[in-house]
Amino acid sequence: MELEELKNLWTELSDELEKQKNLTDKIIMNMTQQRYTNKFEKITRYESVGAVICFLVAIGILWKFEELDTWYLKLCGGITLAFLLIMPVLVLRAIHQIKKLNILELNYRDTIVAFEKARNHLLMIQQFGIYLSFVLFFTTIPVASKLLSNKDFFIMEKEFSLYVLIGVVMVFLYFFARWGYRSYKKITNSAENILNELDNGV
Amino acid sequence: MTKEQKFTELIKDNEGVIFKITTVYTNNESDQKDLYQDIVYQLWKSFDSFRNESKISTWMYRVALNTAISHLRSRKKQPGGSGIDKIVQRATENEDQEFEDRLKILYAQIQKLNVLEKGLMLLLLEGKKYQEIAEITGLTESNVGTRISRIKQKLKSRILKS
Repeated sequence: MELEELKNLWTELSDELEKQKNLTDKIIMNMTQQRYTNKFEKITRYESVGAVICFLVAIGILWKFEELDTWYLKLCGGITLAFLLIMPVLVLRAIHQIKKLNILELNYRDTIVAFEKARNHLLMIQQFGIYLSFVLFFTTIPVASKLLSNKDFFIMEKEFSLYVLIGVVMVFLYFFARWGYRSYKKITNSAENILNELDNGV
Repeated sequence: MTKEQKFTELIKDNEGVIFKITTVYTNNESDQKDLYQDIVYQLWKSFDSFRNESKISTWMYRVALNTAISHLRSRKKQPGGSGIDKIVQRATENEDQEFEDRLKILYAQIQKLNVLEKGLMLLLLEGKKYQEIAEITGLTESNVGTRISRIKQKLKSRILKS
């Protein structure tokens, strides 16, 4: 289809839509009152629940931190705590950046730039979180083992099934990280193209 | 005329425009409904701040397009078109299948454009002059012209390829 053809078809569509007025005053005013749940608000809700869980676990670890009685268990506990406290805050902050975009004042070009940058930032943090989860996996096991069953993971006798479990989790994490990375690259590459195009003017 | 009356008149006058914007920027009917509502909500939210500095249509397109950009799309993209079953919902049985098919091709062409080009294309099809497109998008008039001729070239090359 060439542009002229598209234009004619568009005009036909506009005429057709003009004939089918569906909205009533009541429907319109209802739309202004009951805002649909924006998907970013849904994400915020899920992330907030996740953050609360992380904070509760962090409080639990802090409460029993004294029980981590060797330097390496303390180190594992410290790393786990840092992850549980910092990551949710970073993600929630990045979502907040997207939500606070002033789409009522900005023009189309500026909105694209601001939105793509904010979205890239959020994706970068989530991607970072996926990689960190590998580290977290190895620091959480000793901490949980010590705090929940008072066993030092590093010196205790380990059953074969435990190695199998670790292997399965590692494979899962690998595929999860690979999927995450590909999705991230796909979205950010297209965002980068559009941002470069806008930065270069014409 | 009260504020509510003015607003509902505006939306009724432009319901087709909002519908077309939502079809271009979404892939399925559920997303489309969400975006429609979000656009009406955002327009109502900023209705008081509209200061008659620009045409009301310029303001409306700007808010609607900006809302569409920041609307998070679900990934249920269907190949070869907008993914929306019926672009024109008819109350009667007189369905024009050929018209529907042509519309799907039209939307498929627009869906292939990037987000900036999509906005430009939509405004062009809406019959906007370069000056108003520039006002809505924040690009210069000459930039709008250059980008639109690029879009035309893209469309042509796709026709040749297919």
